[in-house]
Amino acid sequence: MLEVKGLRKVYRSGSREVEALRDLTFTVDNGELVCLVGPSGCGKTTLLRCVAGLLDPTSGDVRVDGKAVDGPPPGMAVVFQEYGRSLFPWMSVRDNVELPLKQKKVPKQRRGELIEQALDAVGLTGTESAYPWQLSGGMQQRVAIARAVAYEPRTLLMDEPFAAVDAQTRADLEDLVRRLWKRLKVTILFVTHDIDESVYLGQRVVMLSSSPTVVQDELVIDLPAERDQLTTRADPRFIELRTRVYEQIQTAKKNAGK
Amino acid sequence: MTTARRADPARAGNPALLGVAGLAGLLLVIELAPRLGLVDERHLPPASRIAAALAREAVSSAFWVALSDTLIAWALGLAIAVGAGVLAGLVIGSVPVLRALTASTVEFLRPIPSVALIPLAVLLYGSSIGSTLLLVCYAAFWQVLVQVLYGVADVDPVAFETARSFRFSVWARIRHVLWPTALPYVFTGVRLAASVALILAITAELVIGSPGLGNQIAVAQASAAVPTMYALVVVTGLLGVLINLLARTGERRLLAWHQSVRGEVAL
Repeated sequence: MLEVKGLRKVYRSGSREVEALRDLTFTVDNGELVCLVGPSGCGKTTLLRCVAGLLDPTSGDVRVDGKAVDGPPPGMAVVFQEYGRSLFPWMSVRDNVELPLKQKKVPKQRRGELIEQALDAVGLTGTESAYPWQLSGGMQQRVAIARAVAYEPRTLLMDEPFAAVDAQTRADLEDLVRRLWKRLKVTILFVTHDIDESVYLGQRVVMLSSSPTVVQDELVIDLPAERDQLTTRADPRFIELRTRVYEQIQTAKKNAGK
Repeated sequence: MTTARRADPARAGNPALLGVAGLAGLLLVIELAPRLGLVDERHLPPASRIAAALAREAVSSAFWVALSDTLIAWALGLAIAVGAGVLAGLVIGSVPVLRALTASTVEFLRPIPSVALIPLAVLLYGSSIGSTLLLVCYAAFWQVLVQVLYGVADVDPVAFETARSFRFSVWARIRHVLWPTALPYVFTGVRLAASVALILAITAELVIGSPGLGNQIAVAQASAAVPTMYALVVVTGLLGVLINLLARTGERRLLAWHQSVRGEVAL
């Protein structure tokens, strides 16, 4: 279980202070897929970095399975938006996926199995020896997802992972995330600025206000578990839910303007 | 480079062929100028006589001893400078306090021309190989250090955070993120340092008289063996070309993944 309680982050540079996050509280249950959506510049990435233990919050705390996060916790993997910079260009696809496993001291044979399974799961069998920069953007992000999956995390954080890929690839990758989530039973916190994406993917959507950020609203997505790009997105309930999220985000923006 | 390749091939001609033609032209000028009396033959002998002197050198053992002396001083000095430069660069570069602390000192020490240290080298080591090494190391060290500092500063924050999020140890972060990022810079540093090291090795031998090609050039000059002197100068030039070529080949092999080497890629 992932708990975020009273999280606040203030950036200081010299005498200037910017309050990025004001007061955030929400939880993600084990095995849940929660989407965080908010207007651009609302501190989504700051929040995610605090949850990942990459950034110390000014106050409040983050707990994973009851343990306070004060550095990257074990059993957590992060998929960054900038796949091109997150993958190491000096390593082949296979080595990129393998390196975190080596760091985790997974035995060699097991590493081989995990790599094969992970690459197969993201549909990249046969690209082991390629370098990331020889692949298309969508394939690179698949490699990053495979790397995270092979790590066998209990919690998977995804920071706007599909913001930089084209719309068709994005639809494929969304379905991939749903499939992996169901199969691996991981907890996923998925950060996005795309309202449709958040409704399509999530079991629950947490909406954030504009900066300084608080939780604007939460919405349970009561769509059937089997989703697909055509029927789900045409479902009247989907449209109803996305409208609700859209309205909340608009309200958040308006309040920020005042 | 791409634009050069795209230029009209008929007008551009074969670059290798043109290069050879240029070299042949230069040799021809050096051959003819003294023979036509345009320059004094005592100061610039014709190319053919320089070549003959070079052939004589190639069979003399003193020449090969001098060549190996120069190469040893060059290689040893370069190795020490690269080792020290890389180590210092990685340490200074990854500790912001150290970097701030040393920045002004580096900027002060770096521009001191190595040749200004010749009196010090003589005081410390006389005309032994130690003198050459001191000058070579000093000149080459800064080239490497500065490049490594740039390299460490170039580490991608996303790559670094990726490593952190997967709980890489400090050593693993250096080994798998910092070092590969800095490597292209290290190579640039080594390439620059290799050329500078050769210059300083020859200079030290020439001025101080420590054993090596530089010393042989001085001896040839003092004994009025002008063609031999030129022949030795040609050898030092060839060494420079060879060293640069080696460094570039090594760079291309080891950095096949890097943007500057891999070029445009399909997909």
